[in-house]
Amino acid sequence: MAISPTVNDLHVLFRVGEGEYALPAAEVLVMESYAGATRVPGVEPWVVGIVQIRGEVVPVVDLRRRFGLDGAELDGDRRVLVVRQGERSVGLLVDRAREVLSIGPDHLREPPEAVAQGTERMIRSVATVGDRLLMLIDTARVIGAVERRDAGEMGRGVDGD
Amino acid sequence: MSDDTVDLREFLSGFVAEADDHLRSCRSALVALDRVAGRPEPNAVRQMYRSLHTVKGLAAMVGVQAVVDLAHRLETVVRTADQVGGALAPEAIDPLMRGLSGLELRVQAVARGEEVPEAPARLMSELEHLEPSVGPREVQQDLRLFLPPELARKLTGAERAQIAEAARTGRRVLRVDFVPTPARAAAGVNITAVREALARVGELVRVLPRSVPASEDAPGGLSFALLFVTDLSDEEIARRTSFGSDAVIEPLVELDAPVGSRAAEPEARADEGDMGRGVVRVDVERLNAAMQSLSSLVVTRFKLSRAIAALEASGVDVRELRVVNDEHTRQLRAMRESILHLRMVPVAELLERIPLIVRALRSATGKAVQVHVEGARAELDKSVAEKVFPALVHLVRNAVDHGIEPPEVRRALGKPPEGALRITVAEPAGDRLSIGVSDDGAGIDASAVARRTGRPVPADDRGLLELLALPGLSTRDEATHTSGRGMGLDIVQRIVTRELGGELSLRNEPGAGTSFTMSIPLTVSIVDSLSFECGEQVLVAPLGNIEEVVDASELRVAETPGSSRMKGQRIIERRGEVAPFFSLGEVLGFDARDEGKAVLVRRDGTSYAFAVDRVLGRQEVVVRPLLDPLVQVVGLTGSTDLGDGRPTLVLDLAALGDDLERSWPSLRP
Repeated sequence: MAISPTVNDLHVLFRVGEGEYALPAAEVLVMESYAGATRVPGVEPWVVGIVQIRGEVVPVVDLRRRFGLDGAELDGDRRVLVVRQGERSVGLLVDRAREVLSIGPDHLREPPEAVAQGTERMIRSVATVGDRLLMLIDTARVIGAVERRDAGEMGRGVDGD
Repeated sequence: MSDDTVDLREFLSGFVAEADDHLRSCRSALVALDRVAGRPEPNAVRQMYRSLHTVKGLAAMVGVQAVVDLAHRLETVVRTADQVGGALAPEAIDPLMRGLSGLELRVQAVARGEEVPEAPARLMSELEHLEPSVGPREVQQDLRLFLPPELARKLTGAERAQIAEAARTGRRVLRVDFVPTPARAAAGVNITAVREALARVGELVRVLPRSVPASEDAPGGLSFALLFVTDLSDEEIARRTSFGSDAVIEPLVELDAPVGSRAAEPEARADEGDMGRGVVRVDVERLNAAMQSLSSLVVTRFKLSRAIAALEASGVDVRELRVVNDEHTRQLRAMRESILHLRMVPVAELLERIPLIVRALRSATGKAVQVHVEGARAELDKSVAEKVFPALVHLVRNAVDHGIEPPEVRRALGKPPEGALRITVAEPAGDRLSIGVSDDGAGIDASAVARRTGRPVPADDRGLLELLALPGLSTRDEATHTSGRGMGLDIVQRIVTRELGGELSLRNEPGAGTSFTMSIPLTVSIVDSLSFECGEQVLVAPLGNIEEVVDASELRVAETPGSSRMKGQRIIERRGEVAPFFSLGEVLGFDARDEGKAVLVRRDGTSYAFAVDRVLGRQEVVVRPLLDPLVQVVGLTGSTDLGDGRPTLVLDLAALGDDLERSWPSLRP
C-alpha cells in the first residue's frame, strides 16, 4: 500500500485566526473556496450550515467558532477543506489554506497536557518545522463527539426558556 | 469445470439472482414443512428438492464447489423425504434451515466477489447423519441415455433418478445444446437466457458445460448441454421459447417404448425478441444509475423553467417555450413513474423471512409463537424495503424476546400457551404504507421504563415511545420481560423517522400486548413539494401533508396568555378546528419579513399552521437525506438542489409542529 513513507507525512497547512494548523493530506478530500453556506437551524453554533461540493452535501464546521476565535479579523480568502472521517464527510471552514508540507513523525510532539485539555483534545500534536509552530488537529474530536440532537432543539425559540 | 476457458462473469450475476430466488422458495417450503410438523407435504418437499437441485447445478456451472457440496447434502436429505411420501422429520428442520443460511451466505459471498468459505464441516456431517442408512432406491439399470459418456458420467445418482422417474411416468426428457457465440450474446441469447427459457417449459435437470474444438460455429470452444424434463411437444416448446436454428432439441432417454417423437428437426425458430419476455432481472445498481440520471434531469428542468421565467420577465414571448416545457414536465413525470415502478418489490418479500427468524427465536427462548401475516400485497421501493427490514426484525425480536411470556406464565395468566405475533400490512394510503407488529404478550411497564431512564412516568404511549427510543436505554438493558423493550428501539426510530421520513407509533396495553406501527413512504428520493421563503432563505416542504396555503390575513388568530414558564402562543381557528400557529421564522431563527402566508399542515388528524413570507410554487425535488450527526435536527428531512448549486433545506412541517407542540402541551383538550 505505502508508496513511500513520505506520502503519509504530507500535510495540508491552514490558518485559523493567528494560528497555523495542519491535517494529514490523506484525510482531505477536496479544498474549495467558501461562498457561504445554507444555514441549518438548531445545530451547534459552530456549524455554519451545509454546502454542496462536487455533488455532495456536507455540513461545515467553522473552525474559528469551534476554536473560540470569533473576534479575529477575516481576510476574505476563506476555504472549505472537506475531510473524510470514517463514513462521514465534513467541511472545515478555515481562513487560508495554500500549502502542503511533509512533516515527518520525528517533528511531532505531544502537546502539553494543559493545552490538550484546554482544547478538548482537538490538538493532537505540535510540530516545529523551521521556525514555525504547527498544530495538528484531531479531526474526529473537531467534528465528532456530538450528542444526538434532543427533540425540541429547533423549537427552542418558542418555549422561551 | 474450470478448465473450460470461458468468462464466467457473464452469468455470475445471473447465478446470484437465480440462486436467491431458489433459496427463497426453499425457505418458504421449509416454513410450510415446519408448520405441518412431520406430516407429509409432498408439494413443499418437491419444491425444495427442485430448488436445491437447481442451486447445485447453477453453482456447479460457476464453479462454486462449497455451494455445490452443501446444496447436495441438503438435497439428499430432502430427496429422502420425497421418497417417503413427502414427509420431513421435525428434527431435520433445524439443520436444513442452517444449511439454507449457509447457502445464502455463500451466494452472497459470490455476489460480492469474495472468497467463498468452505462448506461447514459440522453441519455437513450432521446432515449426513440425517440421511437414513438405506440409500435411495437404485436407479433402473436399463435406462439408456443418449449422452456422450463424458457427460453422462457427470450426472449424479439423483439426477439419473429424476430422469428415470420422468421417463417412467411418460414425461419427455430432452436435451438442448447451446453454443455461445459473440453474435448470440449481442442478441441477448446467452446461457442464462436459454436456461430461463427452458425453465419456463419444463424442469431443468442439469446444465452440463463441455469443451468442444474451437471452430467458426463455436468460437469459444464451449458448449452447453441442457437436460430437462417436460410435458410439452417440440412445437409447443418452440412456440414458448425461441431458439436460433442451432439449438437442437433431442430426446435424451430411450426406454422400451420410445418417449415422445423424434421430430426431424424441431421448428425452434421464432423471432428472438421473444427471448426476453417474462421477467428481466436487473441489478439494482443499474436502476440507481437510471434514477440518478433522472434526478439530474429534474434539476435541469428547474434551470430551464427559471430561464424561461427570466425571459418572460424581460418581455420575451415565451408561450411556445412554455408549451414545450410543460410537455417536458409531463414526460419527466411519466418517466419518473416508470422508473419508480421498476424499483418496487412486494412487501411479501420482506415478510417471508419473518417466520424463520421467529423460529430461531423460538428455539432460543423456549417460547411458543404463532406468526400471522396479514395483507402483504403492497409494493415498496427496493431501497425503502432494504432500509425498513432491519427495523422490522428489531420489532419482531423485541416482541418475542420481551413481549410474549413463556408458556407457563401465559397459562397461569389464562392466555393460550402459544403467543401470537401479528404482522399487519395496511393498504397503502397515498404514498405511505403502514406495517404493524403486534403481540399478545405482557405489554410494557411504563413506570419501570421511567425508573430506568430516570425520567417521569410518561402520560401516554407517545411519551413512552420517546423514552423507549432513548439511545442509552439499550445499553442498560438487562432484558427483563417488562422493561427490556427499549432494546434497539432507538435504531428502529432512527430508521423509520430519520432515514425514511416515516413515523413510528406505539399502542401499549399492559398485560394484553404491544403494538408498534411503522408508517413509511413507499418511495423515497423525489417528492412533490412546496417551496417558500422564510426570512432570507428558501425552504421546501413535501406536499404530502400540506393541506392548504392561505393568506395569513384570512385567518382568525388569537393569542393565548403566557405564563411564567412560557410565553403566549398564537392559535387559529379553521373549519371548526383549533390549531397552533407558529412563526416559522421564529422557530428556525431566521429573520422573517411580512409572514403574509400561512401553510396549514395535517398529519394523523392533527393540524398545525406555519407563517411564511412568500410561497414560490410547487415542484418536484430530489431529497437527499442529511445523515451527518452535526445536522440532525427534528423537522429537517434533508436537502435538495433547486438548480442553483446550493443546498436548500427540506422541512417536515408536521414533525416540526408535533415537536413544537410537545414543548407546549396544554393546547388541545
